[in-house]
Amino acid sequence: MKGRTIVITSGKGGVGKTTATANLGSALAMRGHRVVVIDTDIGLRNLDVIMGLENRIVYDLVNVVEGKCRLRQAMIQDKHKLELYLIPAAQTREKDSVSPEQLKAVCAELEEEYDYILIDCPAGIEQGFKNAVAAAGEAVIVTTPEVSAIRDADRVIGLLEASGLHRPKLVINRISAEMVKRGDMMGQGDVEALLAVEVIGLVPADERTVSAANRGIPVVHDDRSSAGGAFTRIAARIDGEEVPLQEIEPRPGMFNRLRDMVGMKGRAYSHA
Amino acid sequence: MVVSEHPVIDPGYSSNGGRRRAVLVTGRGTDIAFNLDANAPVEQLAQELTDQLMGQSFLYSRGGISVNTGSRTLTEDEESEIRRVFKEKSGLRISRFVSGDGESFTDGPLDNEERAPIAPPLPLSRADDVPVAQLSTADLARLLSGMSPQSERSRTGGMVVRATVRSGESVHHFGDLVILGDVNPGSEVSADGDIVVMGSVKGLCHAGAAGDEKAVIIALDIASPCLRIGSAEAMASAVSPRSRTGKRGKDSSAGEPAIAYVRKSSIYVSPFAGRFARYTKGVPYEG
Repeated sequence: MKGRTIVITSGKGGVGKTTATANLGSALAMRGHRVVVIDTDIGLRNLDVIMGLENRIVYDLVNVVEGKCRLRQAMIQDKHKLELYLIPAAQTREKDSVSPEQLKAVCAELEEEYDYILIDCPAGIEQGFKNAVAAAGEAVIVTTPEVSAIRDADRVIGLLEASGLHRPKLVINRISAEMVKRGDMMGQGDVEALLAVEVIGLVPADERTVSAANRGIPVVHDDRSSAGGAFTRIAARIDGEEVPLQEIEPRPGMFNRLRDMVGMKGRAYSHA
Repeated sequence: MVVSEHPVIDPGYSSNGGRRRAVLVTGRGTDIAFNLDANAPVEQLAQELTDQLMGQSFLYSRGGISVNTGSRTLTEDEESEIRRVFKEKSGLRISRFVSGDGESFTDGPLDNEERAPIAPPLPLSRADDVPVAQLSTADLARLLSGMSPQSERSRTGGMVVRATVRSGESVHHFGDLVILGDVNPGSEVSADGDIVVMGSVKGLCHAGAAGDEKAVIIALDIASPCLRIGSAEAMASAVSPRSRTGKRGKDSSAGEPAIAYVRKSSIYVSPFAGRFARYTKGVPYEG
């Protein structure tokens, strides 16, 4: 069976595309699939750092498309020895070093042998976005429940539809249940109503996501992380399993309970 | 190529990195031209045309255009290849091919029978006789829809958009416009006639764009930062959060079908009670 190429995109930067790519890639590999993740953010590569593979890079995506190395040589295996491989972006080049056709060709080759190819798309809607989108057959959009991120996601959904990628799936990242409850943050319903696309995951704001990224270990490897659990369930949904969406509940910590009793307002920050 | 006198239309999503483009879309007056580089191989032209048309398929769904091949004279096969790309990848109709050296665009109409009315004056638009430095996506959409063979000179022709209009997209129609989805923040819809939205309006909305102040905007929910009807304009007040997040405020009228109309040069809104009902209890639109 041919593999599925999925682009992970958002429009806005900093909403968690790279984190989502690393975690979904890991989670799909943990389900027993053969997975390749491709960093297309040429010039600003990050996915290698999040996956803790930055010291292992010899060849990159640009070397592959320029024929300086074989595809296999640029593929770095995940450090947990999963069937998960990273093709890193070049850091010293620019977005136009790769054309949509070249990336299409790379993905077509990978689809013959791997089950999932996840493309980590750069922020913006310029050349890098066009490259990433051209090669993909499906799209996952990552957004946070913020007006600016949702505006950009809306724009990107329009552009995806214009390039033939219909019915993108939405991941809402960094939801703070406390803030939603107070009415200070848009909830799933508000985001869904505005963007009118299918939501396949709600990821809570979780400090463990940040510390896991800093350690170079995707948070799905952390059993105690709520965000890790959310990414595991999203991977299952991508894989075709029916997993109901879990509402994100505020953590019933002593402090929160006290705060609710006293009616004190929490500080307006998210955990991640 | 005769591109110098034609302003370049670059709707943001058509840049092609550092590579020189073989296909340049230009516009002047009501004329949209696809200029094909005389020296580029036809395969490259076909590929770039495909990219351009697919990338902006929302815009290029209908309308008439001309194709300018500059100093090159296409063979029959090459011409049919170009025609095939337009036919398969867009809804555009090629009004004419301009080819051979020395020929350039004239300011005359494309073809008299299908010539549509001239684009109306609008903040988004420009006077027809002044070449503009740059056409916006909205202008391009306007020109294309204006040249559509389906478009009508009168307001009798309606157009139905079966989609949500998303941020960055714009729709214009010369008759009445019906949108079977939302009009999201950051988008623009305009029509010379009425605009009916079977969803909520959170983007810029201009009914009666050719100056008809009897036009109305009807929607299941109006929460736009800016409404225009004819030359009347209403802005949402700065404190209104609804047009930003779409969150339901405490305002009890939110979420009710509403109609916006012009009274005494101002835009009023009222709960919808029929297109031709008499509205006397509307309130000035404030978002």
